[in-house]
Amino acid sequence: MKRRQFLGRVGAVGAVGMASSLSAPALLSSTRAAFAQGDDIPVGVLFSLTGAVAVVEHTLHDATLLAIEEINAAGGVHGKQLRPIIEDPASDPATYADRARRLMIRDKCVSVFGSYTSASRQAVLPVTEQRNNLYWYPTLYEGRECSRNVMYGGAVPNQQQDDLIPWAIENFGPRFYMIGNNYVYPKEENNYCKSLLSKLGGEVVHEEYVPLGHSDFSSVINRIRAEEPDVIFATVVGDSDVAFARQYHAAELDPAKMPVISLTRSEVEVKAIGGEAAAGHFSSAPYFMGHNTPENERFVENYKARFGADQVTHFVSEAAYFQVYQFKAALEKLDPSEITPAAIRDAAVGLTLNAPQGEVLIDENLHTHLWPKIGQWQSDGQAKVLIQSEERVAPKPYAAYEGQTCTGQGLVKA
Amino acid sequence: MNSRFYYDLIALAVFCAVIFLGVPALMSYDGFELNTFARYLSLAIVSMALALSWGTAGLLNLGQAATFGMGAYAMAMHLKLKVSDGLPDFMGWNNVEKLPLVWVPFESLSFTLLAGLLVPAAVGGLIAIFMFRARIAGVFVAVITLAFLVAFQLLVIEQQGFTGGQNGLTGLAPLTLAGWTVDTYSVSFYYLVAGCLTVALALGVYISHSKFGLILRAIREDADRTRFFGYNVATYQTVIFCVSAALAGWAGMLYTLVLEFASPTYMGVSFSLAIVIWCAVGGRESVLAAAVGAIIVNLLEGRLSDVFVEGWHMLLGIVFVLVVMFMPRGIYGVIVDVVRRLNEARRGGRQDSAEDALLPATIQTNRER
Amino acid sequence: MDVVFNQLFAGLSMASILLIIALGLAIIYGTMGVINLAHGEFVMLGAYATWALQSFAGLGVLAALPLVFAAVAAVGWVIEKLMVQRLYHRPLDTILATWGIGIILQQAVRLSVGAESRFVKGPELLSGNTEIGALVMSNYRLFVIAFSIFVLVGSWMLMTRTEFGTKLRAVIQNRGISECYGIESKRIYSITFAYGAGLAGIAGALITPLFSTIPTMGTGLVVDAFLVVIVGGLGSLIGAASASVLIGEATALLSAVMNDTLGRIAVLAGIIILIRFRPRGLFPSDTRN
Repeated sequence: MKRRQFLGRVGAVGAVGMASSLSAPALLSSTRAAFAQGDDIPVGVLFSLTGAVAVVEHTLHDATLLAIEEINAAGGVHGKQLRPIIEDPASDPATYADRARRLMIRDKCVSVFGSYTSASRQAVLPVTEQRNNLYWYPTLYEGRECSRNVMYGGAVPNQQQDDLIPWAIENFGPRFYMIGNNYVYPKEENNYCKSLLSKLGGEVVHEEYVPLGHSDFSSVINRIRAEEPDVIFATVVGDSDVAFARQYHAAELDPAKMPVISLTRSEVEVKAIGGEAAAGHFSSAPYFMGHNTPENERFVENYKARFGADQVTHFVSEAAYFQVYQFKAALEKLDPSEITPAAIRDAAVGLTLNAPQGEVLIDENLHTHLWPKIGQWQSDGQAKVLIQSEERVAPKPYAAYEGQTCTGQGLVKA
Repeated sequence: MNSRFYYDLIALAVFCAVIFLGVPALMSYDGFELNTFARYLSLAIVSMALALSWGTAGLLNLGQAATFGMGAYAMAMHLKLKVSDGLPDFMGWNNVEKLPLVWVPFESLSFTLLAGLLVPAAVGGLIAIFMFRARIAGVFVAVITLAFLVAFQLLVIEQQGFTGGQNGLTGLAPLTLAGWTVDTYSVSFYYLVAGCLTVALALGVYISHSKFGLILRAIREDADRTRFFGYNVATYQTVIFCVSAALAGWAGMLYTLVLEFASPTYMGVSFSLAIVIWCAVGGRESVLAAAVGAIIVNLLEGRLSDVFVEGWHMLLGIVFVLVVMFMPRGIYGVIVDVVRRLNEARRGGRQDSAEDALLPATIQTNRER
Repeated sequence: MDVVFNQLFAGLSMASILLIIALGLAIIYGTMGVINLAHGEFVMLGAYATWALQSFAGLGVLAALPLVFAAVAAVGWVIEKLMVQRLYHRPLDTILATWGIGIILQQAVRLSVGAESRFVKGPELLSGNTEIGALVMSNYRLFVIAFSIFVLVGSWMLMTRTEFGTKLRAVIQNRGISECYGIESKRIYSITFAYGAGLAGIAGALITPLFSTIPTMGTGLVVDAFLVVIVGGLGSLIGAASASVLIGEATALLSAVMNDTLGRIAVLAGIIILIRFRPRGLFPSDTRN
């Protein structure tokens, strides 16, 4: 073999090996200016802008940014601007974990606002807890979690169901048909619902779960028609819910006789379902876009002005919005030199804030006291609030598990 | 063993020098950067595993993510048991009262490590026997493995009480390896992953240059002729499928360690197709190139997503299409071509047939019939 | 018994949707051996085109169908000219390239129209149900079934009863010899690809009133359509139709017996076994041997 040839070939294969180090400094070291005690306060914004969950998460992203912009326009906190660092986790849990690390370790964010699904929250948890950072999670969820590093802004089962189930039995009857997507949230809500039903003398005629993203509900609708339940208790999410509602309507099932009572359907889904198909069905949530408070009017007005008149606000984007204000209020209680995620958390406990839904309070277990409401969808795509709870309802993330309570010291087992 | 073996060994040595010495130094031994890079390295293993079955034997396995996921779950099951006293928390929530039998042996680390390699290998082997005995080839291999992947992922999500469902296995303990508690942000963990990749690559290089690898390439080019020579084609295909599945399982175990959770999305169609893309970008004919492809694409994704928050997905799509269209043999092919042209130019354009014989056959297999 | 009949109808309805999505894929695959993973995105484009025509031009779903067909076919034609054409000799690579094209189309729609789910109103004319005893059939679903049969027959006529079809079949049988007889195989390929894309567009338009219109809607559909094509047999229209009915009915009946998830797993397992024992599909065409 010729020597020159040999060298050339080594060059060829070697270059493949070297390719990873080409222009390495630019590619590899991606550090940004560290937080330290600089001129601004870096916060992470971690909502999917691409992929399947982006349908909902882009609205949360928008609401979070709106609040940040409003706070900055009003002079920031302690004279410092909030600097949002935006990442797109692309609806994929592994990417969530990766991007959360970037925000918390590399970019030294003092808090990260993010995510919609339980799976993505759990993907972010290891790094959040290990680095003792703070993750602001605006979504309603299944409860049963008691991290000291997550601020839970959404409803847990007891806040959505305690008023709803007795009301549903009284108005429509005791026979429930449960339909949900196949993951932990629907199963847990159904568990809680079953425990309420057994106390109130209701019964479950059928319980079933379809894969996330499932889009053909013909068999489900056939079963519903055969079972003739009094209430369809739905925990179907996202585009599955849109398909379900449209096919339910196309099958001419009557909301007056068999209403769908959903824990997950909000203005976003209804906009895609179409007012006509959604009309007459119900949702339980702490917030509806049409809610009548000055805070909400301002929120809706600013949101539309910023993102377009055809945009809607809903119970998760509302939480995403007010959580930024809770964050700001907590920062204000702290001395600018002692801002750390843990200090922010401790300062946030016990805070009250006039949110669009009413005055909310952060419990010592880091969940939020909320104002549950029951709304009936109208053909204009808005909900008419039928029932509003008399008082603010405390979060009990372990309500379905006797002897376990989430407290300020974490989970306590009796 | 031909002289290409030595070039590959030298390239492997260069690659090792880069990942062992160059990368950590460039990243100034920063925990976060090394952790991110360790993730790329573990993905490089699954990419090179695919190169073994796809590039060498011509079997396009679109279900590679399934075996990857099995490894990931094996490791996660062990770590989950370590953190829970008796019953893992999610089982209680799903009304599972007793630890399922399949979970029990995962208390043991050595069993877990073995299972993470052998279970994927066994499943891969079963599918392979099932397919290759019937002389299934080409696009049908892709379809069967794809259908298996979709069904397997659905099953894992459905069996929430045993698998954690859509959320996967989270809240894991750190791994304790012979008294050493693994910190995923440490330099030593990075070296562990880099070491695993090196071993996997050495194995891959060895296989592709052995007689076994030669027969696999013969099968890729023309399975019938190889059969006429008296080789049992199905056995060769099955063995390489098993090896590839075991390597994928190994990568999965490391991936769980890096990310500290296991998710059913590791077994998703888009992840599986992403593996194929990495392999194609690097060059499917060489295991080393496939590994480099995985590293480059992931590095690129990381950097693009940093700069173009809105548009990075689109840019990646464009890169893939361009690579497939204009670099059918990936980066490896481009480099081999450039070197050949240089050599030809130096010899004044004289054709050198020995030269061509040394080059791997281009993958321009005839259209499936 | 009522449940069985209703499930059978549900299965038929699923089959019609599967068929109309898979038909374009089957034609493209059968003609040029291209596995078009961007097919789901063509369906998505069809759905978005319908949405655009409805919200900006006030056209109903039915009136929009021809325009949607033309629009998506045009996109398909451009993609064929720019990219797919260069890959005809590398069929496995088309899987990768078309997947990339799918990502690009998906992101292009997301960046231009937005990530949110879009509402498309179903045709007023077809609302309501037809009831025969206990069998309740949605009129719109009946229409989709009828329309898919119409498209199937139309495509079959196109391939067997027109000059274009004769040329197409000649190219499928032997591209080289057909070119010797003056058939421009490149042109035939472009038109066929555009036609297949157009059919996907129509599928998108038809499913919008039932499903949710989002940029990622095609991703889940393409795997199913792909399976239908393979089970049906290479490029066989009758095969695609029978495979759709088989898969649709099996899914409906199995999900009635078990549940939707296990039903789908069982169907996938069945498909794997079917391909193992009949790798050339239910209705193999012998044109390529």
